[in-house]
Amino acid sequence: MLDPHNLPDEIRDLPDAGFELAQTGEIKDEVFHTKPIGFYRDALQRLRKSKASMVSFWIIVIIILLALIVPNITGYTYMEQDTSKKNLPPKIPGLESLGIADGSQILTNRRRDSLDNPDRFPEGSVIRIVREYELSGVPVVDVMVDYYTFVGVDDDVYHWMGTDYLGRDLCTRLFQGTRVSLLIAFFAVLIRIVIGVIYGAIAGYYGGKVDFAMIHFAEVMDGLPYVVVTILFMILLGAGMFSIILAMTVTGWIGTSRLIRAQFYRFKGREYVLAARTLGVTDRKLIFRHILPNTIGPLITKAMIEIPGAIFSEAFLAYIGLGIKPPNPSIGILLSNGQSVLLQYPYQTLFPAVLISVLMVAFNLFANGLRDALDPTRRGED
Amino acid sequence: MLKYILGRFGAMLLTLFLVMTLSFLIIRLMPMSLFENPEVDPVIQKLLEAEMHLDKPMVVQYYYFVKGIVTEGDFGRSVKIRPGMEVFKVLASKIRPTVLLNVLSLVIAIPLGIIAGTVAALRNNKLTDTIISFLVVIFISVPSFVFASLLQYAFTFLWPLFPTLYDPAAPNLAATLHSLAMPIIALALNPIATIARYLRGELIETMSSEYLLLARTKGLTRAQATVRHAFRNSLVPIFNAIIPLITAIMGGSMVVEKIFAVPGIGGQLIESILAGDHFLTVAGLIYYSAVSLATILIVDISYGLIDPRIRVGGTK
Amino acid sequence: MPKQQNDTTGNSAIANDIILKVADLRVSFRAYGGRVQAVRGISFDLKRGETVAIVGESGSGKSVSVKTVMGILPGNAIIESGEVRYGGMDLTKVSEEKFHEIRGNRIGLIFQDPLSALNPIMKIGKQITETLRLAKKMSGEEARAKAIELMAAVHIPDPQRRFNQYPFQFSGGMRQRIVIAIALAGDPEILICDEPTTALDVTVQSKILELINEIKRERHLSVIFITHDLGVVANMADRVNVMYAGKIVEAGTTEEIFFSPAHPYTWALLSSMPDLQTKERLQAIPGAPPNMIYPPAGDAFARRNPYALKIDMEKEPPYFRLSDTHYAATWLAHPKAPKVEMPAVLRARIDRMKRSGMLNG
Repeated sequence: MLDPHNLPDEIRDLPDAGFELAQTGEIKDEVFHTKPIGFYRDALQRLRKSKASMVSFWIIVIIILLALIVPNITGYTYMEQDTSKKNLPPKIPGLESLGIADGSQILTNRRRDSLDNPDRFPEGSVIRIVREYELSGVPVVDVMVDYYTFVGVDDDVYHWMGTDYLGRDLCTRLFQGTRVSLLIAFFAVLIRIVIGVIYGAIAGYYGGKVDFAMIHFAEVMDGLPYVVVTILFMILLGAGMFSIILAMTVTGWIGTSRLIRAQFYRFKGREYVLAARTLGVTDRKLIFRHILPNTIGPLITKAMIEIPGAIFSEAFLAYIGLGIKPPNPSIGILLSNGQSVLLQYPYQTLFPAVLISVLMVAFNLFANGLRDALDPTRRGED
Repeated sequence: MLKYILGRFGAMLLTLFLVMTLSFLIIRLMPMSLFENPEVDPVIQKLLEAEMHLDKPMVVQYYYFVKGIVTEGDFGRSVKIRPGMEVFKVLASKIRPTVLLNVLSLVIAIPLGIIAGTVAALRNNKLTDTIISFLVVIFISVPSFVFASLLQYAFTFLWPLFPTLYDPAAPNLAATLHSLAMPIIALALNPIATIARYLRGELIETMSSEYLLLARTKGLTRAQATVRHAFRNSLVPIFNAIIPLITAIMGGSMVVEKIFAVPGIGGQLIESILAGDHFLTVAGLIYYSAVSLATILIVDISYGLIDPRIRVGGTK
Repeated sequence: MPKQQNDTTGNSAIANDIILKVADLRVSFRAYGGRVQAVRGISFDLKRGETVAIVGESGSGKSVSVKTVMGILPGNAIIESGEVRYGGMDLTKVSEEKFHEIRGNRIGLIFQDPLSALNPIMKIGKQITETLRLAKKMSGEEARAKAIELMAAVHIPDPQRRFNQYPFQFSGGMRQRIVIAIALAGDPEILICDEPTTALDVTVQSKILELINEIKRERHLSVIFITHDLGVVANMADRVNVMYAGKIVEAGTTEEIFFSPAHPYTWALLSSMPDLQTKERLQAIPGAPPNMIYPPAGDAFARRNPYALKIDMEKEPPYFRLSDTHYAATWLAHPKAPKVEMPAVLRARIDRMKRSGMLNG
């Protein structure tokens, strides 16, 4: 602490020039040097920073592209049957030499001597003998065969993911199925949101008795277990893509309507909305120009969160036999068909299982990232 | 509090009633194959229809339908799967494995989820947290039936540690549980992850709350404050997360039962749906509705008991 | 509300009895943009039986200072240097395992927002008795009796019944009384009040302040009082530290700060303080507090200060002693500085305060 009357030299002798008033003009409040950025630009920037979201986003894009392209370029159609090529294992050009996806399969419990019979084991079909043993004195082997040669299919035939019990190319079916599943999910969510928005907007905007009646109706509907409602409606409507979408919408819109109604309640008290109203702006204009734009952020988040749920629902319905009509594939149908021959032909389950898992993880992560980006206050919550 | 419980109970009854009505409409709108059977004598068919009140107007039919369920637990008779057998009896014979499977999945999931969520929250942003959070995303995203297939292939076929299918003739409970282990785990993964995620979020929030700070400034150790305030308070909202878990387990159970050939209500339901045995289907669906509504009711009531803001009559 | 300064003789007798001493404390936080230097070398001491106020805008580092004293800094905080001497210890070095014996039992803390400071689902009584039972190993009955006594001491009507109620059944003011009771439960000798009335209704504020003064007197507490509101300080504190941008820019007795403020920031604070008599417009402080990741060179307040000297922009002012108890960090106190008078509005205001005896009422 310094005594002003007895200062150390270096302080006392500071140059006089420093002791002049520095402020000449009026002091202004701080001006922001950065350009203001809009809410959505800001959200996009935040989203871009989240690695998990960006990776997920690109995975989703790639899967969508695959679903659009692959069924057209495999050279097979999803419904083309060929019973001479039943349950072929995966065979992919290029990978064959590496010993994976080379169309090989292990056949168990074959008589040792049958290997020499060209009717049973065509020329060049035996790759190697895996195990040799005896059953009551009869020599028996487990043998790895080139299954394509074994069943007499031409050498240049490739089924990247193998074929199913009707000899249909599973790769084509998987991506055709992805197309179908994504379409179902997309439309189910879209319809839910459209209905939810209309319902919630009417209830929220008009309030009062209308709101009371509408919200109670929605409450009662929401009490119905989703699984039960979906199954009941599927039974009523019968198998098919349209039925699935409809069944998933019966009570699916309620969440959105609640969200929209809450948003309306939040925004309709705001000054700018009141001001617009006193200026004689019509209800419709008020809803579409002033209130709805504020609900877009939460809606996008909601939609993204519901898509994996809808993909799941489709697969679930397929499993319990209420899927889309054959011969159309969907991820769920493929999984369910694969499951029935899981232990014999695991690859028939493997590919759809991996695809649905990756798709669900990617959608969930992306939806989380999107929610965090659009609502930074909720960052970190899951 | 009593008003709160009665309100919840009323809502549950209303919903059940709605399920019954919907079911009734759907049964009646669907072609009833039993009565289209050309081999049945038309006179007998008339008599049968009369006995089942099918000759009366819809409203009267509806009355008998509801009356049958409410007064006698009479859901009608199975048409195809166990022709002539009372639906109620069919279901009753299937209930044990389903309840065992679902209850055990939940019983396993709750403590494991709580442990995982707590560890993740206490190690927030450290490696352990990252690993747990990653697993949580996987377990939440991947459907239980995909896990069921994976587990079945890996642990009953590649490494045959467990039987591939449920063993209905298991000599004792241990053997039954052994054959149920895979389906139980397949069903528990999603609830574990859901609880962990929820609890982690809640804990992290309460750990940064002012009242936790107060607990520490008044002289509690960090551990005491965490257990007595953060943990306790975080568990309350977990109750709400349990409702969707139970419905998720029951839904997943249908498919998982089918995969592991568990002779339960879920598998039965799929069978009856595929066969078009609508009485059986409807009864199964009403069972599912009743159980999930009852759990909602129980959870709501216990929530009210735990949270003083509801119990003492404040607003939630 | 007369401030308890009538025992001047007592005060001088214990003048050197320093119970807590903060010396050159520097605290920063790791943040995304860099290190936020929240506290940049502050020193002050608290004498036994007195109330010291720390006044400053939000973000000036006052709360961080007391969080350091309480040992409750968040995980991303770093104590860069300095010490907090208390009872022969340096509190910045005390381990977490030992610190909980100090918290509550020797130093108590009252929070800003009683709404969020109480556990919403735990009974009030339990929240008060918790430490008594856990830390002081009292029996249930003893703890309950003590809690009820405390609740009565903070003027909660019908404490027997209130003991079993939950926080949501209390009003804001009552909740703050509970928080005070909790802080007192461990019989601390130092009470830190972190903006204890900011979140309360104006009508309740004065009652809580009165209560703090009352318990301070009855329990012989030493109080550190954090606030952004100089108006509150006048009736509470013996001495005042004015903080800006992580530093104490002026310190002195309450009288000195109110009647002969020397730092332009103190002038600005005093001018922006609402009072009933002032007819002129309130003087808002122009500009915004500096970015504490890159604190400006020189006097941090210079850029918002109409009286800033050129040297203020470059060289950090040292503390100039204005009296034995009063010092300020401003180059205006240098002999070479032009004679700058405080704003006329403020001068008039101070005169009015002096006449009305606002301080020593």
